[in-house]
Amino acid sequence: MDLWQLLLTLALAGSSDAFSGSEAISPTLDSASQSLQSLNASLGTNSSGKPEFTKCRSPELETFSCHWTDKIQHGLESPGSIQLFYIRSLGANLKQLTSEIQTARKNTQDWTEEWKECPDYVSAGENSCYFNSSYTSIWVPYCIKLTNNGGTVEQKCFSVEEIVQPDPPISLNWTLLNISLTGIHADIQVRWEPPSSADVQKGWIVLEYELQYKQVNETQWKMMDPVMSTSVPVYSLRLDKEYEVRVRSRQRNSEKYGVFSEVLYVTLPQMSSFVCEEDLEFPWFLTTIFGIFGLTAILFVVIFSKQQRIKMLILPPVPVPKIKGIDPDLLKEGKLEEVNTILAIHDHYKPEFYNDDSWVEFIELDIDDLDEKTEGSDTDRLLNSDRQKSLNLLGAKDDDSGRTSCYEPDLLETDFNTSDIDDGTSEVAQPQRLKGEADLLCLDQKNQNKPSYPHASSVTHRPSVIRVEEDKPQPLLTGETESAPQVVPTQINNPSSLANIDFYAQVSDITPAGSVVLSPGQRNKAGTAQSSVHAEEVSLCQANFIADNAYFCESDAKKCIPSAPHTEVKSLTEPRFNQEDIYITTESLTTTAGRSGTVKHTPSSELPVPDYTSIHIVQSPQGLLLNATALPLSDKEFLSSCGYVSTDQLNKIMP
Amino acid sequence: MESKGSSCKGTWSLLLLLVSNMLLCKNVASVPVCLNGAVSCEKYIKDLFDHAVMQSHYYHVLSTEMFKEFDRRYTQGRELFTNTFNGCHTSSLPTPEDKEQAQQTHSEDLLNLIHSILLSWNDPLYHLVSEVRGLQEAPDAILSRAIEIEDQNRRLIEGMEKITSQVHPGAKENHIYSVWSGLPSLQMADEEARLSAFYNLLRCLRRDSHKIDNFLKLLKCRIAYNNNC
Repeated sequence: MDLWQLLLTLALAGSSDAFSGSEAISPTLDSASQSLQSLNASLGTNSSGKPEFTKCRSPELETFSCHWTDKIQHGLESPGSIQLFYIRSLGANLKQLTSEIQTARKNTQDWTEEWKECPDYVSAGENSCYFNSSYTSIWVPYCIKLTNNGGTVEQKCFSVEEIVQPDPPISLNWTLLNISLTGIHADIQVRWEPPSSADVQKGWIVLEYELQYKQVNETQWKMMDPVMSTSVPVYSLRLDKEYEVRVRSRQRNSEKYGVFSEVLYVTLPQMSSFVCEEDLEFPWFLTTIFGIFGLTAILFVVIFSKQQRIKMLILPPVPVPKIKGIDPDLLKEGKLEEVNTILAIHDHYKPEFYNDDSWVEFIELDIDDLDEKTEGSDTDRLLNSDRQKSLNLLGAKDDDSGRTSCYEPDLLETDFNTSDIDDGTSEVAQPQRLKGEADLLCLDQKNQNKPSYPHASSVTHRPSVIRVEEDKPQPLLTGETESAPQVVPTQINNPSSLANIDFYAQVSDITPAGSVVLSPGQRNKAGTAQSSVHAEEVSLCQANFIADNAYFCESDAKKCIPSAPHTEVKSLTEPRFNQEDIYITTESLTTTAGRSGTVKHTPSSELPVPDYTSIHIVQSPQGLLLNATALPLSDKEFLSSCGYVSTDQLNKIMP
Repeated sequence: MESKGSSCKGTWSLLLLLVSNMLLCKNVASVPVCLNGAVSCEKYIKDLFDHAVMQSHYYHVLSTEMFKEFDRRYTQGRELFTNTFNGCHTSSLPTPEDKEQAQQTHSEDLLNLIHSILLSWNDPLYHLVSEVRGLQEAPDAILSRAIEIEDQNRRLIEGMEKITSQVHPGAKENHIYSVWSGLPSLQMADEEARLSAFYNLLRCLRRDSHKIDNFLKLLKCRIAYNNNC
């Protein structure tokens, strides 16, 4: 059945007029080809392949060629019997010419009468058919068919302008454009010539090109965009690599490219022997160098920035006032032993004085030994005064051993000028006398008793209050010098020995001039207002006492006070002395020359004057600020005794 | 009418052939367009041709893309369509069919031919736009390109008239064009026949646009660049 159809179609195809039009032919041809295919399929059971067109190509729009595969089943068909026939529609010119001849022509695509065989089987190679320019018409549809022993194998229709695939470009070359500053990359310009077959000059065919390049050892080609010109720059090629370049062309409006040109090898010149490392490698060398630099820079910055802090830590910017030789912290802390040691170093002070036992020891000292003592006494140095005079004065007047009162009014009469403890001027003479008597008196009483003197440790924060538990009125003057409160127990048995006896005097203030302002002590209950005088006397006496390390009562001290300009003071002296609880406070004692202004007159005796004031601040090495209101409550207790407060009392008093 | 026209065309083409044969020259001597080598005149001619070539190139790109889109969507390259050549309505125009013939054709004639082809496509393109909309699932790509091509056709006609007036100032106006009678085929009820008609029309358009592009490039190199593109 199929065979009959095939034969019928073939007959029809052969007999049909070529001029009948494409409508007749095309379906005929089409059906014939389908029949042929089916026939082949049925006949050739073993024929897996049949000749078929591989491609038809026109390189320059002037000629074209068609190629086919030769896959003929051996044994079934005789080889070499393949034929190609073509047919083309008539051009307009021929059409017009033949219109006169054949009137039955449709105004459609006209075919040639018959299929024509391939004019050239050789030029294009094996299994090909080459149509030269005379056989080629552009914009004219062609149909070709492949026959095998008369049987159409395949048919194909096309137009020449559709199958344009230009030849590859020729004469590829490259030139160096520039090299990067780093010497790693370079740019080149690749030039080529259009294929010789293509008539580009006359503009018959317009080509565009595509360049591809890659490194020699790579497998993937890098493509560039199509260009119309015949030269193109290639950028950023590595200098140490070798590259391959190839170009292909196509008709500008077509899709298909021609074959690639020959590969152009680009070997770039080596600019330097330094081989750059791969980009992927981590630059260890540079990293370490920069890291070291960075770290050192940071370290320097840290050191220099910390230097300030270190400086600040070591050397505080604010100068702290310092008592010569003694750390103020020690005084604050109240460590007596340390203070003792320090004082011993500085002023030859006998630390024994701070002990209770030392009091006892000191008191038991014989007056005769006073001279020996006074030579090296601290009070002497403190007062820096004419000790001898004072001593003599004190000693001379000490006729009152055995007196009940520590205070000799006679002593008070004397006009003594307060002298600076440190200066020890002649002004001290007179008050020293008084002081001496009083001291002697008190010393006698002291000798009778063994008062327990309060520890001098209270000096630190409070005046060097050394109190005696005894009821004996014993003026206690605590001399407080610059370096430390000088607790000078006064032991005066006789006036002469007063000078050699240490005494205590309370220093209320130290003037800027350097004089010590001693507290005047409590007023006489009688209200005598001679505290100032007492103060003066006492201060003067104190100077002696201090110089003599004498321990004297307020009364005695008051004796030392010269006739003060204030009569009140004078009047107060005697009764004050007569009383037990009269203490010469530093307030009433001044040792400065211009004392009148500096003397701190104690108020009326009715008002108990604190005899002992706490050291408020240890300021400059020259002064001690005393808190005048230190002991408001303890007056009564103070008044109980002669002016000495025992340690127990003191401890009660002091917070 | 038609025969008369065809006879006119026929005599005209005969004359053309005779002249070309008589001259026995392969190439038409390039006649300098600009007198005395005026620079501005040559520059203007160059610009005209460059612009025209660009336009024709775009024209061809549009038609190619439209044809490919249609083929991809509706016909898929079936042999039913690919092997069917119904002919183009512009085939009657005596255009050169190869390079030799083109080179032997005078520039004026060539310009007129180009003009005629463009004129012939005015009507079909107009109907194409309207008929594409009626296609089943007409893609926008085809429709937009159809509209674009119609505009481009008009622009090219204007360009050609400008060039003609510049290159051949005294030439009489060209009114020759081919009539298109394919509208009924685009409106056929049979889907396959209709698709075949579309396919054919688009293929003819692609071919003619290629022809126009080629001729213009040839003329450009000949006239503006003196055969040295």
